[in-house]
Amino acid sequence: MMESLFKFPSLGRETLRDFKKGIDSSFKEFSRTHGEGIENFFEPLLQFLVWFEKLLINSPWPLVIAVIAFLTWKASKKLTLVAGTIFAFVMIGLFGMWKDTMSTLAIISVATFLCLLLGAPIGILMAKSNRASMIISPVLDTMQTIPTFVYLIPIIMLLGIGKVPGLIAVCVYAIPPIVRLTNLGIREVNSKLIEAGKALGLSKLVILYRIEFPLALPSIMTGVNQTIMMSLSMVVIASMIGVAGLGLPILRSISNQFLALGLMNGLAIVALAVIFDRISQHYARRVQKHKEVGRK
Amino acid sequence: MKIIKSIFYILTVVFFTASANAACKDIKIATMTWASAQLMAQVDKLVLEKGFGCEVEIIQADTMPAFTGMNEKGSPDLVPELWANSFITPLNKAVKEGRLHVLNKGPITGLGEGWWVTPAFRKKHPEIKTVQDLIKRPDLFPHPEDKSKGAFVTCPAGWACQLSNANLFRAFDMEKKGWKMVDPGSAAGLDGTIAKAAERGQNWVGYYWAPTAIIGKYKLIKLDWGVPFAGKDNWDNCIVKAEKDCANPKPTAWITPAVNTVITDKFKKSADANAVKYLEKRTYPGEVMNGMLVYMGENQAEGSDAAIEFIQKHEAVWKNWVPADVAAKIKKSL
Repeated sequence: MMESLFKFPSLGRETLRDFKKGIDSSFKEFSRTHGEGIENFFEPLLQFLVWFEKLLINSPWPLVIAVIAFLTWKASKKLTLVAGTIFAFVMIGLFGMWKDTMSTLAIISVATFLCLLLGAPIGILMAKSNRASMIISPVLDTMQTIPTFVYLIPIIMLLGIGKVPGLIAVCVYAIPPIVRLTNLGIREVNSKLIEAGKALGLSKLVILYRIEFPLALPSIMTGVNQTIMMSLSMVVIASMIGVAGLGLPILRSISNQFLALGLMNGLAIVALAVIFDRISQHYARRVQKHKEVGRK
Repeated sequence: MKIIKSIFYILTVVFFTASANAACKDIKIATMTWASAQLMAQVDKLVLEKGFGCEVEIIQADTMPAFTGMNEKGSPDLVPELWANSFITPLNKAVKEGRLHVLNKGPITGLGEGWWVTPAFRKKHPEIKTVQDLIKRPDLFPHPEDKSKGAFVTCPAGWACQLSNANLFRAFDMEKKGWKMVDPGSAAGLDGTIAKAAERGQNWVGYYWAPTAIIGKYKLIKLDWGVPFAGKDNWDNCIVKAEKDCANPKPTAWITPAVNTVITDKFKKSADANAVKYLEKRTYPGEVMNGMLVYMGENQAEGSDAAIEFIQKHEAVWKNWVPADVAAKIKKSL
């Protein structure tokens, strides 16, 4: 009698085992029947990733640096930042990490772009519909907290190892900030301005595009920034499922106590993160300034 | 005179009781962190206790501490699965000096590292038996990111076998023959690629080792090398080294692992001759061992549960390891 209070009446060992086995085998069945199709669905994405990585690796390095410097200048209009970026990439090249850095750059920029492309509309949907927000919020919580390998193993079973599963892993982890902050930004737009828009007879789409989105931009840019940071922090995890790049030397250095190798590649990731961060922040600020003309 | 006599008497008594106690009492078997060693330790315990009336204690150890302990201190008394490649010289010395005895130079058949293929591949291409045959056909293993290349799945980043595989890859000149190495990044990644390919009946070739549950679960097939082992010098001074220290790797088969069942001299002297003979004879067929590992994984069974399962299910295997009366005793004890 007392015992049943101290020992939780869990399902029997047999029941639990059958339950787990059932899920496992139905997933395997699913992977056997639909795996090929899902793989084919992602094939264009994979080819694009391969093409983009090759483009970065095979282009002459001065050209790559020039393009990156140009983009930095376009986004920030700050000479110090441009100089810092060039310096960082030259150092990366000097220390023999050029190729790995290009691989990482390729997958991270595609991942970030994809996250924005998917995340911003979801954020808008959440802002527009409380019900959608109620459903999506816990999903985002799960995506951010669930241990990566829990979903990575099923993904590997479906898609194998390599770039596409790596991209999915990165996005699962990095997409929540952009979704949340888009949602937040749009919800915080002053309702009087929207009323004004309605009074002018603007359509919902125009209100969204002309009023809500620009006003939510600071918040959205913070989300972009966070998404970039989080996808860079996933580089090592992505390498654990066979994504080439800066993560692999780090894994090698972890299991062999190669301190210098680990530190160098780690710092290269930090350098990429800082550059991305500054560029996106400056860009956000500049966009703001442009919109704030007259208010000053 | 009387005193001397009585002292002598006492000493004799003490001596005899001591030696009687020493007969297969207080035996320590070392178990390891991996499943096959745990199973073997538990089966040995079961057989020695129920079959030969020994008193056995299982102790958790690691390869190096277990060897050092038995070499220096004479404890543990028995290590069922000792991977001795890294300390083969001191082991041979201890054997020569009579402190240790190597009873069984291969307690599990088919064990060791190598290059494996999926059963579906073997079925489709039974003519490809060796690594030499295989490397002529990179087209059968298209690399997902570059279809014109064959994908060979190597060891995860940072594992020692990554170097050996990379050097063998060069020794067999596989890059020129259209192959590309795939780094799976982690043990989970490596296992995942195998599971995916085997579940879907796809072709897969890559590095793995036995005895392991993965090999047993997916019935992977180890390829013959098609070349002989090209000598210890090539292996120790080139194949296992980093690429820069191995300019000219010679094609070679993988080194045969020195996996032994080792006992102390004390144990050999105190135990029943048949018990020692049992340890000499007990060789697990690779498939049986891999099957047991699958059982352990699927049921999350401890070594001791698995030992009982083994004794119950595989009588045909262990029956020949012990005399008939001992076998009967063991069966009755369950």
